[in-house]
Amino acid sequence: MNHGFYLWMSYGATAIAIAIEIATLAARRARARRMIEEERDLEAQD
Amino acid sequence: MNWFYFSSPSTFYRLAGRLSPWFFALAAILTAVGLYYGFVVAPTDAQQGEVYRVIFIHVPAAWMSMFIYFVMAAYSAASLTFNTRLGAMMARALAPTGALFTFVALWTGAFWGRPTWGTYWAWDARMTSELVLLFLYFGFIALANAFEDPRRGDRAAALLALIGLVNLPIIYFSVHWWNTLHQGSTVKLTGTSMHVAMLTGMLLMVFAFWMYSIGAALTRVRSIILERERRARWARSL
Repeated sequence: MNHGFYLWMSYGATAIAIAIEIATLAARRARARRMIEEERDLEAQD
Repeated sequence: MNWFYFSSPSTFYRLAGRLSPWFFALAAILTAVGLYYGFVVAPTDAQQGEVYRVIFIHVPAAWMSMFIYFVMAAYSAASLTFNTRLGAMMARALAPTGALFTFVALWTGAFWGRPTWGTYWAWDARMTSELVLLFLYFGFIALANAFEDPRRGDRAAALLALIGLVNLPIIYFSVHWWNTLHQGSTVKLTGTSMHVAMLTGMLLMVFAFWMYSIGAALTRVRSIILERERRARWARSL
């Protein structure tokens, strides 16, 4: 019996899920940095 | 060493920034070695054939799903009891990674179950209680973000995390309490019947997932700290 499909679906989905999490971590970090930049700009305007 | 020094978000932010790359690096190394053991060193299973190699991600993911929930609940309890800001932030940072590993455990379990049991899914006690765990993670994340005041969200989500803690022993003991399709524990404190190469590969992947979880949680908590402390002088001076 060929088990390649089940192994690929398991390992492939895990790799994709972890890649998505790492991408969302990076995106959230970038958003948080932008928020800090906005606060800095507001402070400079004051 | 004064541990309370690191309970301040500003000092923990810097500590987390220094530590997280090391945890990710360790996770990558352990994954490489673990997969080498899993696919090259470990022999083919006499009964299940090659498909048993799903265990090298299924079992570590399932263990991490429960362990992360326990740690998340502990941080929630600390935040409720001592009103610590960082505890609530850590609980929030852990939840998505816990949900990810719960999803991976369920998904890989389905793709292991089909060739071995003949079905992707059964409403068996172990699988159903693990699915409940996924819903608990989703509920925690939704509740934490449902309030405009993040501190109220922290408290509501912390309560849910503590109530949901009852599900962990149900998951663990489900294979003993009920007659389930899912097999019982192969690895016990008293020993295991697994081949040493299989066990080594699996434990290496457990440590790899563990290191990844810490790295991901530390990275996420840094963003959460910045979002909440963005008006603080230390954050603006970064």
